[in-house]
Amino acid sequence: MATATHGHSKHPHEEHAHANGRKFTVRVLRQEMAHSGSHWETFELPHEEGMNITTVLQRIAANPVTTDHEQTTPVAYDACCLEEVCGACTMVINGRVRQGCSALVHKLLEESPTGIELRPMTKFHVVRDLVVDRSPMFQHLKRIKAWVRVDGYHDVGPGPRISPKEQEEAYPLSRCMTCGCCLEACPQFNDRSPFIGPAAISQAILFNPHPTGRVDRDDRLAVLAGQGGIVDCGNSQNCVKVCPKDIPLTDSIAKAGRDTTIYKIRKWFGR
Amino acid sequence: MSEEHSQAQAAATDGYHFLIHRLHSLTGLIPIGVFLMMHLFTNASVLAPGPAGMEYQKSVERIHALGPLLVPVEIVGIFLPLLFHSIIGFMIIYTGKSNTQHYRYGGNIRYSFQRWTGVIAFFFIMYHVWQLHWVGQPFRGGSFRLYNESGGPAAAVTTAEAIKAAWWVAPVYAVGILASVYHLSNGIWTSLITWGITIRPRSQQMAGYVCAGFGVILSLIGLGALRGFKTFEVGSGAVQTAESLQEATHH
Repeated sequence: MATATHGHSKHPHEEHAHANGRKFTVRVLRQEMAHSGSHWETFELPHEEGMNITTVLQRIAANPVTTDHEQTTPVAYDACCLEEVCGACTMVINGRVRQGCSALVHKLLEESPTGIELRPMTKFHVVRDLVVDRSPMFQHLKRIKAWVRVDGYHDVGPGPRISPKEQEEAYPLSRCMTCGCCLEACPQFNDRSPFIGPAAISQAILFNPHPTGRVDRDDRLAVLAGQGGIVDCGNSQNCVKVCPKDIPLTDSIAKAGRDTTIYKIRKWFGR
Repeated sequence: MSEEHSQAQAAATDGYHFLIHRLHSLTGLIPIGVFLMMHLFTNASVLAPGPAGMEYQKSVERIHALGPLLVPVEIVGIFLPLLFHSIIGFMIIYTGKSNTQHYRYGGNIRYSFQRWTGVIAFFFIMYHVWQLHWVGQPFRGGSFRLYNESGGPAAAVTTAEAIKAAWWVAPVYAVGILASVYHLSNGIWTSLITWGITIRPRSQQMAGYVCAGFGVILSLIGLGALRGFKTFEVGSGAVQTAESLQEATHH
């Protein structure tokens, strides 16, 4: 993908100018720290072949000078796997939430020829620049017990068998990387709503039918039937549209609707 | 331990959250949705062949055959569910933040529409009830009459007079009817997801076609009825109706 990200610090721009030297602008919403104000800064870069947003941010870091010829600080950003499996570099690019690593500059410029706009996700607290605090998502995972319980670290032998059909159902849900795209695009996930969002609901649906995960089934359903649970979904279905891992989130949401109703009726009759 | 305790405590209070939202969904379908369908069908009987407004008069008389029971039926069966559905609806609107300018997906636009049409339908119904229903009478509204002073049929005439009261009344009704029908049709579609009946995208898509078809048909019925009242001849037709109905009842 991005070539020569190391060891070419001297003139990185010139070196790749021949590849596709067309210059483009990148507007970045900067924020120095958690509670400070934000402002836009614009940078101009020559396009390189196969360039992604992570590369763009690396180039800016190598030469943090705005189009107004002002020296600034490198833009803070998260990045880890660089292959769209960790979710760390999730941000709002050209108004739409996605991962910086898999967002290719030439495609973004086709979308928006005037330039690229980067801003942090709006549904999480900003730590600095494009870095946000996604810990609420992990709190939600804890609330719905998104795990399979084990008694200890000793060998307890092979686990229960799971049929290929069940595996096929479960695997797409297991691809969730807690990136936050679904929450960013969800009109029901915001500071006025207690909604825990599609990611956590889908994880509950992943672990509920699991032979070992089933132990905590009712606890998960109790959370899904509670404040911020399934009834706070508004069925806009943006989540499934923006999910980079193609997780059938709306299937999980409909199943959660069905399972919580049955759970509540069961509870009502004291079972 | 304390965590379990607090969770159990939270679950106890959370119970109403779930129940309230499920009742919001249910009241939208039954009785409000069923009532809207019956109401528009009844109105459309103004288009029936025969003496002008006669079939409509008979339809309304059938409803009023409940006599003194009609008031409690209306309050418990329509006004209270409608009030509950509206209050919870406004609370749901408050918890959402529309983002259709960035995410222009069909589902997202329908989500926003569901909220807008809910608000429009709410204010339209307030106006409509004030204008025609007897509860509007203390506020110089409530102009609907089943019979006129001489005991003749007046249902179609008084409705038509209300619709023709000003040039903007019929357009307001058209908007109100379309908003209500959209809100019900899309509400049926989302309720099938809410209650876990349509789970897969394919079944949701099929349900979408059915709900859209339902909405189009119900809109035509509603707008057809509106046109029927807008073009209703208040003069001779009504007199004729009165005479023929009196004849019919005397024989």
